[in-house]
Amino acid sequence: MRLSKLRVEQFKRFRSGVELDHLDPGLNLFTGPNEAGKSTLVAAIRAAFFERHRSSNVDELRPWGESGVAPTVMLEFELDGRFHRLTKSFLARKRCELLIDGERFEGDDAEERIKDLLGFQQPSRGASKAEHWGIPGLLWIRQGDAQEIRPAVEHATDQLRSALERSLGEVAASGGDELISRVEALRLELLTAATGKPRGEFERALKQRDTLSTQLDELDEQISRYRQRVDELARLRAEHQRDQREAPSRALRERLEAAEDQLRQAHERQRRLADERLRAEQIEARIRLLRERLESFTAQRLAVDERRQALTLSTQALASANAELAAWRGRLEQVDRARRHSRDRLRQARQQASRAQLAQRIERLDDELDQRQRRLVQVESAGQRARKLAELRGTSAIEASEVEALRAEQARLRELEIERRAAATLLDFSLDEQQRIELDGEPLEGQGERRLLGPATLRLPGLGTLRITPGGANLSSLGARHRELSELHAERLARLGVDSLHRAEARLVEQRELDSEARALEATLAALAPAGVEALREECAARRQERETLIRTLAELTTEAREPALDIAAVEAEDERLDGELREVDQALRQAQLRASRAQVQCDVDERELATAQAALEAPERTARLDAGHREETETNAELATQLARIEALERKLEADQPEILAQDVERLKRSVQQQERRFAERREAMTRLEVELESLGAQGLEERRAELARDLAQLTRRCDELERRARALDLLLERLRDKRQRLTQRLQAPLVHHLERYLRLLLPEARLELDEGLAPVSLTRPGAHGVEHGDFDQLSFGAREQMGVISRLAYADLLKEAGRPTLLILDDALVHADESRLAQMKRVLFDAATRHQLLIFSCHPEAWADLGVAERRIPDLVHAGQDAPTR
Amino acid sequence: MIRLLHTADWQIGKPFGQFEPDEAALLSEARFLAVERLAMLATEHQVDAVLVAGDVFDAQTVADKTLHRLFNALAGFPGPWVMIPGNHDAALAESVWRRAERLDALPTNLHLCLRPEPLHLEAANLVVLPAPLTQRHTYQDLTDWFDLAATPEGALRIGLAHGSVEGILIESIDSPNPIAQDRADKARLDYLALGDWHGAKRIDARSWYAGTPEPDRFKANDAGRALLVELDAPGTEPRVTQLETGRYRWRQETRTLRVASDLDALLEWLAALGGDDVVALILEGSLDLAAHRRLETALGQARGRARSLRVDTQALRLEPTVEDLDALAADGYVGEVIDELREQQGGSEGAVARDALALLAGLLDERKEKRP
Repeated sequence: MRLSKLRVEQFKRFRSGVELDHLDPGLNLFTGPNEAGKSTLVAAIRAAFFERHRSSNVDELRPWGESGVAPTVMLEFELDGRFHRLTKSFLARKRCELLIDGERFEGDDAEERIKDLLGFQQPSRGASKAEHWGIPGLLWIRQGDAQEIRPAVEHATDQLRSALERSLGEVAASGGDELISRVEALRLELLTAATGKPRGEFERALKQRDTLSTQLDELDEQISRYRQRVDELARLRAEHQRDQREAPSRALRERLEAAEDQLRQAHERQRRLADERLRAEQIEARIRLLRERLESFTAQRLAVDERRQALTLSTQALASANAELAAWRGRLEQVDRARRHSRDRLRQARQQASRAQLAQRIERLDDELDQRQRRLVQVESAGQRARKLAELRGTSAIEASEVEALRAEQARLRELEIERRAAATLLDFSLDEQQRIELDGEPLEGQGERRLLGPATLRLPGLGTLRITPGGANLSSLGARHRELSELHAERLARLGVDSLHRAEARLVEQRELDSEARALEATLAALAPAGVEALREECAARRQERETLIRTLAELTTEAREPALDIAAVEAEDERLDGELREVDQALRQAQLRASRAQVQCDVDERELATAQAALEAPERTARLDAGHREETETNAELATQLARIEALERKLEADQPEILAQDVERLKRSVQQQERRFAERREAMTRLEVELESLGAQGLEERRAELARDLAQLTRRCDELERRARALDLLLERLRDKRQRLTQRLQAPLVHHLERYLRLLLPEARLELDEGLAPVSLTRPGAHGVEHGDFDQLSFGAREQMGVISRLAYADLLKEAGRPTLLILDDALVHADESRLAQMKRVLFDAATRHQLLIFSCHPEAWADLGVAERRIPDLVHAGQDAPTR
Repeated sequence: MIRLLHTADWQIGKPFGQFEPDEAALLSEARFLAVERLAMLATEHQVDAVLVAGDVFDAQTVADKTLHRLFNALAGFPGPWVMIPGNHDAALAESVWRRAERLDALPTNLHLCLRPEPLHLEAANLVVLPAPLTQRHTYQDLTDWFDLAATPEGALRIGLAHGSVEGILIESIDSPNPIAQDRADKARLDYLALGDWHGAKRIDARSWYAGTPEPDRFKANDAGRALLVELDAPGTEPRVTQLETGRYRWRQETRTLRVASDLDALLEWLAALGGDDVVALILEGSLDLAAHRRLETALGQARGRARSLRVDTQALRLEPTVEDLDALAADGYVGEVIDELREQQGGSEGAVARDALALLAGLLDERKEKRP
């Protein structure tokens, strides 16, 4: 389809005519500021196609404030190689005319034709809506709608599909989607959509089946218990009858009675035995007492012998103790003598030792005294020398700093002299022969010169006097300072008692030598008498006194007679030994005394006891009592023997009885009888219980109930199986249908995807745009910073969606073109959100698309499209050309 | 001449779990009606006694109501009824019989033989030798004692037992409750009335199974009968006549559908089904969609007529023809799905594929109807 001419009259913004002529078969760019009428032109094209000429709902096509007008649009285009002209007027003059290669159609007929040609629909009444617009609705992008692609695609899906099918020569199933949704709905009645779990009636049936199954199990359990009890009852009855017949407890009871009788007899014997044993014990006790009495008689005799023997022994012991005591007394005397002698020798040895010590001490004092006296002489001589030196130094004392001051003053005086001479007034005279003048009284003759340092009076004989005052003030001050310093110097010399500096220096040297000698002397004194001379002298005196004292003491000691020399250590040791021995002997003596007195006491005691014992033995009634005791003993022993024989006989009998075994027999038989009876009673009770229980259980009709339950369960199971079968069949069917549909969709989409990729490569290399079943873009996959990115179309930025929207439409156009369908693309202010680089790419895309399709681009940004490769046509210019100003 | 009505295996209280509840209720009810019919027959033929050879009840613990109902059903015949317990209603320590006694449900003209003791019916001068089961299963021949049982001179000796005659019934080899094949001879019986086998069956001239009076399974042959036994005198051979007592016809039918006439025959057969038919139908072979629709319609109608109609179509395949597909307007991928499912019918999940195919066909049909 190629639009070649558009004319608009009395249409919205354009009151009178506007005409676009000579439209390019490829790209056409119309520009103009806002409100210039771009959108009005687009609206005119849309109205010409979409709106029925007879429609009364198109008031918005009327220019503002105008009534009675007939908005008119005229389009000329080429389609399928034939020339078409469509002219449509609305409202005041409702007309439609279509010329196809000179053939003329009018009214509804014309509208029907145009609608089929372009692939859209018209509402039977009222204004045209988006759902009617079909292919043009998709390809003619309205302002701000580029990114909204899905609704537009939905309204054109059928046409796109049929275009795809035509290009592929393949047919999708008619009404396939409807079929799938029907199957889905049927499946949803039985299974959940997501997980395929049973739901609704199916789920209820399954649950009920499980409940019934559990109930049936319970009932089965009950029935099984019931049957067990029936068997149990039969067993009990059989046993009961046998017991009644055989009566096993009676025999047991008889045995029990016999055993009890035996046991009673045995117990009687036991009691008798105990009595006899008690009597025997009493007899034995009596015998024991008797024996004790007899033994006491024997003991009296034995006691006398014993006492006598003891007395003999203690007398002997006393004698031996007294002998020992005497021996120790002799020994003590001997040792005491030896010790007294030893004491005398010890005193002597000690005196000898004192004397030797004194002599040694005196000798040492002599040495010390001599040494100190020699040092005293040396000290006194050094003292004299020191006093001499002090005297010498006292007369010529001079300080080193004073000499230094003298040196400085002399140097300064020399400098002042030189300065003064330099400043002095030079009097150069050359007198005639024999002529004489006087300078301050000094006669001057011949030639010479004088330096005048102050005012001078020059007497010129015969002529008077010349008074000369040297001109520089400096000279007089120099003179003053010189004088001052000279006086100071002279004064210092006088004070030091020298006549010159030289002399002062000589004296300083001399003085230093004296000082050195004095220090040496001082050191010598310190060494000889560290504590001073007086201390040394006192030391000497003290020693001398001590020596005299010691000599006197020695003299006193020496007065005793001469004796042989004694070794003091040996004497001391001997003395100590004797001392120890003396103590030991003394100790032993005391012990001996103690033993002797003890032996004496023992002796006395033994004597007394012997007397007592003898008295008892000789008592008069003793013999008679002894005889009686012996007689009684013999009788009692005989009685005991008889008793023991009786006991033995009883014990033998009891051993044969074994009463404890008898008692066990009785117990055992008693229990057996009880058990037998209890068992019988219990069984009777159990039977009654079981009978009652079974009666009540039987009345519940357990098996009949089970039969009913089993029937219900079987029915439910069948129902569940049927539902499951149906569910599985639906599952299978749905899976197959979806699978086939999916594959078909993929096959169908292939050519469209191919076109889409051609544009996408220009805009976003390596990106892929996926389509949904309705052929609308659904997601974008592209390489990103972190690997491949995959995002929903709706999540893309506005700009990107707009760009994708445009290239998708171009791809649809390619697809339609291939299917031989008309394609005309209109972009009203699209791509305003594209950045510079994307817009550049989009221009390449559009230029490429324009080689296949006619594109009308409307924009209010002429500069953005300057490089589109086509001349812009300004809408205001067109309007002016049509001598029509836009109305407000 | 003495006339006896011989019956057995009433199985009162049997559940019929494989049927729908309403059907099962009617089948259970039919068993009481059969007993009532027996009573009527007994009266009609003026029999001297009715012999019931065990398994009167299907279970020990039936509801009290059932118990009363059964014994009331005997009222139609005022003469003596002689019953023994079978394996289903054995005379255990506690049994349905004891309960009936406690409930005072037993009519006075009922002779219940719970112990192996001769029963002398003096009016007819016959002695019944019963072999009641006192355990659920026993492996000894309870009829042994018949051989030595003494009976009055001139009285008829009639055996009454429940179990498997050895060596006759293939299925019951090694089965419990055995009965010697030559018992009638050895015990000099004039007639041996047997129960346990649900079809009427002659063992020898004097030994018969009566079968159940109302069929209760598909596999029994000659069920739904009672035997009228006529005895002239001791030692003479009895005359045995089979009387129809059953109402429901239990049929199990397997049909293979290959060609169109197979279906026609099946439809004809279905059309003939009536209210007393209890049918299990197994279908094999293949059908096109049109035939399938016809079959479904016919089955629907037959279900309305028959007492019960259960159809197993697991082995049936759907083979839509080209015309079928055209008629369904199944083009594009839906057509492909049909092809696939058709193929798959032969596979392991063939039944599911068949169901899916039938469903799809149904849906397409539905759609076609919506858009004529």
